[in-house]
Amino acid sequence: MSEVKVMKKMKIDEALNANVWDVDHKPHIIVDYEKCRKLCDKRICTLLCPARCYTLTGGEILFSYEGCVECGTCRIVCPHEAVTWDYPLSGRGVQYRYG
Amino acid sequence: MPYIDNARFDVSIIGAGPAGLSAAYILAKNGLKVVVLERGRTPGSKNLYGGRVYAKPLEEIYENLRNEAPIERWVKKERFSIMSRGELFTVEYSSQDSTSFVAYLSKLTNWMAQKAEEAGAVIVTDVRVDKLYLEDGVVKGVVSGDDILKTDVVIDAEGVNRLILERLGLVEKLNPSQVALGLKQVIRLDPVKIEARLGLSPGEGLAWLIIGQPTGFLPGGAFIYTNSSTISIGFVVFLDEACKRATKHVFDILEEFKQTPTIKNIISDGVLVEYGAHLTPEAGLDMSPPKLYSDGLLVVGDAAGLLLNLGYTIRGVDFAAYSGYLAAKTILKAHSEGSYRKENLSLYQKLLEESFIMKELRRHRGISKILKSSEVFTEYPEILISMVGKLFQIQDSSPTLIQALRESIKGKTSLVRILWSMFKMVRAI
Repeated sequence: MSEVKVMKKMKIDEALNANVWDVDHKPHIIVDYEKCRKLCDKRICTLLCPARCYTLTGGEILFSYEGCVECGTCRIVCPHEAVTWDYPLSGRGVQYRYG
Repeated sequence: MPYIDNARFDVSIIGAGPAGLSAAYILAKNGLKVVVLERGRTPGSKNLYGGRVYAKPLEEIYENLRNEAPIERWVKKERFSIMSRGELFTVEYSSQDSTSFVAYLSKLTNWMAQKAEEAGAVIVTDVRVDKLYLEDGVVKGVVSGDDILKTDVVIDAEGVNRLILERLGLVEKLNPSQVALGLKQVIRLDPVKIEARLGLSPGEGLAWLIIGQPTGFLPGGAFIYTNSSTISIGFVVFLDEACKRATKHVFDILEEFKQTPTIKNIISDGVLVEYGAHLTPEAGLDMSPPKLYSDGLLVVGDAAGLLLNLGYTIRGVDFAAYSGYLAAKTILKAHSEGSYRKENLSLYQKLLEESFIMKELRRHRGISKILKSSEVFTEYPEILISMVGKLFQIQDSSPTLIQALRESIKGKTSLVRILWSMFKMVRAI
């Protein structure tokens, strides 16, 4: 948790760092990169995941679960069923105070 | 679920949100043994919404809401703006009477949990329910990992991502046309500055909705709510439209909105204390499970699709809490009858139908479709701002209203089309 002045445009990491977290040791979301590679050219997850957990690296999707805010958007917008999604176990993940 | 193994509960409730906890509160108050299972570390830690709650339905459930609940500010000012090119056209309504308040849902939910516990309900956190426990097709409890908790009846208040109902086959997987994505930043700011910059008297609350540019012209709208010493700022976009039209990352769209001169001045010197996102049901009755009750099961709140978005207002928390309240009433009756079969639990549907919830949802059915399909969020903000600009930014001659409009719609749309879509919308709202 580290607070950020809102003067200029923020980076997503700065915004996520303002939150309280208890990140799980293992991911609660599994992405089937094969499907991303073979079936998907639109990659809408890279624009709509509000925590930017999906990024393009060298033309390939890279997913990291650590900053996930558990909204469920990726599960729904993925047109290729590449996302196996569940909530984190035992209270882990984002801890909203001002939700 | 080690420390509840030996206990015997009448009712288990999945999810300590407004719906589940309101049900728990009423049930426990009337002597039933209730357990609420919450995946978060504390009740409220996984809840997120825009910021405003309509009070009346909640006051029916919680008599002392006004004095006890963690209310940040009562809404005394409603502001609606259309924004394009950084320019705003605003309509404002002020009143000393107020039917809604701004609160943090995390804190409000936590307060509801306290009320439920005081009434005798048991709330167990850190437990993710994975599925329902069935015996001969009848719901008889819940399953978390390897643990089974048997109860006579279950209330599913799992929220908008209805993994449990999907696993049961009661609903299909959500699709983007049924939900909207909401993003919110909470920015701490001196209350004196909040009030001075937003034209509020001390303690007064503001609910401000802005369409057009803030969402990058994606169908949806931005919101600003005033808390005691923070401002909540964010937006909600229809997910199917966002899938079709998004060309920028949603977070960047929000950051750009914050950089528009009007907003920048308001939040200047502020400090971001939280950023989050959540899905919100949009399809109402068109996403409800075919039946909200079955043998041993009731579905409440977001999981049941009980949310109304009229564009200028969103009602979710009051619908959720009240559906939990009606589910509790149903279970109390069924308890007295000694059976939780669907014949007994169908009362829930009846109570919902008689309540404001179903009346509202039916009256406005299809509204989100109409909102989405119109040009209200895409072309019209630009046209309106251009027209208003022509009226007020006078050089030599001042145009008539109709001249200003004609010039602004040139090459974009026709007057007839604008009037037609306005007619459709007014009829639906």
